[in-house]
Amino acid sequence: MLDLLQSISDGVLYGATYALIGIGFTLVFGVMHKINMSYAAASVGGAYAGLLVVKAVAASAPPWLIFLGSVLAGGMLGWVVYVACFHFIPLANPLATLMSTVGMLLLIDEVIVHGTDGMPLGFPALFDDVMIRFGEFTLRGDLLLVFGISVLGMVGLLLLLYRTRLGLATRAVSQQPVAAQLCGIRLVRVNALTFVITGLLGGLAGAMIGASVGTLSPLLTTPLTVKGLIVTVIGGLGSIPGAIIAGLLVGGLENVFQLYRGVTERDLYVMLLLFVFLVFRPGGLFAAKTGRD
Amino acid sequence: MKNLLLALSAALCGVAFAAPATLAQDKTINIAGFGAKSGVVRSFGVNSEAAMLAAADVINKAGGVKLADGSKAKLAVEFYDDRCNAEEGISVARRIYGTNAVVAVGPTCSNVAEPLFGVLQKKIDDASDSGMQMPIFTDVAIKVGLAKISQWAFRNVPNEMTMYNSLYYWLKTKYPQAQTIFGGVEEDFAHSRATWYLVQKTRAEAAGFKVAGEAKWLLNDTNFATQVREMKKANADVVAISAHPFTTCGVLKEMARQGVKPKVLVGLTSSSSLETLQGCAKQAEGMIIPTSFAPVNKEAQNAAQVTAKFKGAADLHSMAAWENMFILKQVMDAAKLSGKPGDLQADRRKVRDGLASLKTTNGLLGVTKRDEEGEADKPYLFVHASKGEWKVLHNPL
Repeated sequence: MLDLLQSISDGVLYGATYALIGIGFTLVFGVMHKINMSYAAASVGGAYAGLLVVKAVAASAPPWLIFLGSVLAGGMLGWVVYVACFHFIPLANPLATLMSTVGMLLLIDEVIVHGTDGMPLGFPALFDDVMIRFGEFTLRGDLLLVFGISVLGMVGLLLLLYRTRLGLATRAVSQQPVAAQLCGIRLVRVNALTFVITGLLGGLAGAMIGASVGTLSPLLTTPLTVKGLIVTVIGGLGSIPGAIIAGLLVGGLENVFQLYRGVTERDLYVMLLLFVFLVFRPGGLFAAKTGRD
Repeated sequence: MKNLLLALSAALCGVAFAAPATLAQDKTINIAGFGAKSGVVRSFGVNSEAAMLAAADVINKAGGVKLADGSKAKLAVEFYDDRCNAEEGISVARRIYGTNAVVAVGPTCSNVAEPLFGVLQKKIDDASDSGMQMPIFTDVAIKVGLAKISQWAFRNVPNEMTMYNSLYYWLKTKYPQAQTIFGGVEEDFAHSRATWYLVQKTRAEAAGFKVAGEAKWLLNDTNFATQVREMKKANADVVAISAHPFTTCGVLKEMARQGVKPKVLVGLTSSSSLETLQGCAKQAEGMIIPTSFAPVNKEAQNAAQVTAKFKGAADLHSMAAWENMFILKQVMDAAKLSGKPGDLQADRRKVRDGLASLKTTNGLLGVTKRDEEGEADKPYLFVHASKGEWKVLHNPL
């Protein structure tokens, strides 16, 4: 029983990073009804850029400065992704942006690989040697921090969306772009800002993943892309609360599957979970109340 | 102005007529290198290429290789990227087969080497086998027993069976109180998996260790809490991590968090590289790894320095590529290649036969024995991570 509890708590805490990635996918989908496949790669890219730039300027920079650098670099990458993959590409063709973002995913991946020769780079963590103990039950200090920062990031995003004019404009574009334009909202500006905001969040996700793993590697991009998409589908495309809950759920269940069925079967069950949702609840956890057809 | 034009024309004519004579003197023997230069194992390809170019530079400065007509030819190296992908590797090898390269050095990954050796002609002179007839001299792909797949395949990679056998017997004498071993294995990577199940586990048991348990993870995994808890419960004296640097570092960090401190920590041969130290030098402190390279003598130090000039790092893999170039020079000098395009296939055969006839070769750490299957039994030593560096712990030879 203790093993089960421990696995769930470890997984849920780590799942906060999945939730951050899922939010990025879902936010872009909510606003533009497009999937940005390069989001997880850009998030890891943001963390790499933050680490390398800040370390180049100040070799002994504190971790928080590297986190900040990663967030800003993530925002810039978000804008680059928007310009390269969406701004000049006909949005009416759903495949065009999908393929352009797949291309961007591979491009970012290779840029990282060529920039670092594929070598893993140590990423700083806060409280990585802290373990909170309740008898045999333990909680990782660094994961608790990652969880806390991720939750703060999510709260910040929700405040931005529901308490600011920009958020209002974003939601308006998301609901009815033509009407939003008629109301004077600049569609291109809102779309670009959405990418910058999700990029900032992605940079935070990249930094939190780097901090929780302790290392950055190009190996992170593909599994995070897959996990991000699973979280987005399970949570409900376009639903931010859905992405948060699905991220924590996938993180927790993944560890439970691993505990009982082993690492080689773990991802099989995660995929099965995805299929269960696609068949029985295609709209995800927070599906709109409409028929599946 | 007129004079200037005349002078320029004369100079151009001179260059034009002189060129064929110069080119005739600059005969070249082409060697193809191939390995991963993209993807997460890019550093292996980058380092192998640098080592091959560095070795070719040294050989060429010393005159190059001797041809059948008594003239000398320079070595030219072209390196191809196989992305550590089996299909790509086979495609690259076929492309090399279509060039005038007499031999190919590579690949990086065992999952490329295994199927690639399968498309080579299995037995020489077998007319019914239309497989590729080009010698391949592997520098990195280390999974046990691959060269026997084809008589055109040769390897100069460490013999893990010998190295780990020696390591575990040595550990047993050095730590007689250590009784149990726990294995951590990267389950989805051919080399890591084979090294644990076929090599380390059996050799440790043979040396008298009792296997207290195993934990598995995947190459892309980032969370090792469950596996390290199993490790902690087993409370083994020795923990062996058969994984590449990224997950090795993840596991070591999780071990530090959960307070798992075995008496002895053993790593995978391929992890005795800069990558591990860049990722987790602090947590890897004390980790023991058997390796076929360390800059312990002048020759090895020189090889590392020259390779660094070509922007490569010296490790057990790249220095195998360096050694391969010198072995090939030795073979080519003895085989008396023609070097003419029309004799390409005959030259390839001469190189193959030369490699097959070698009983020993000179390596950076001493004499390497070669067996009939095309495998090497390289000298080795044990290194351990100490203050951010790999330092020699013990030389069993």
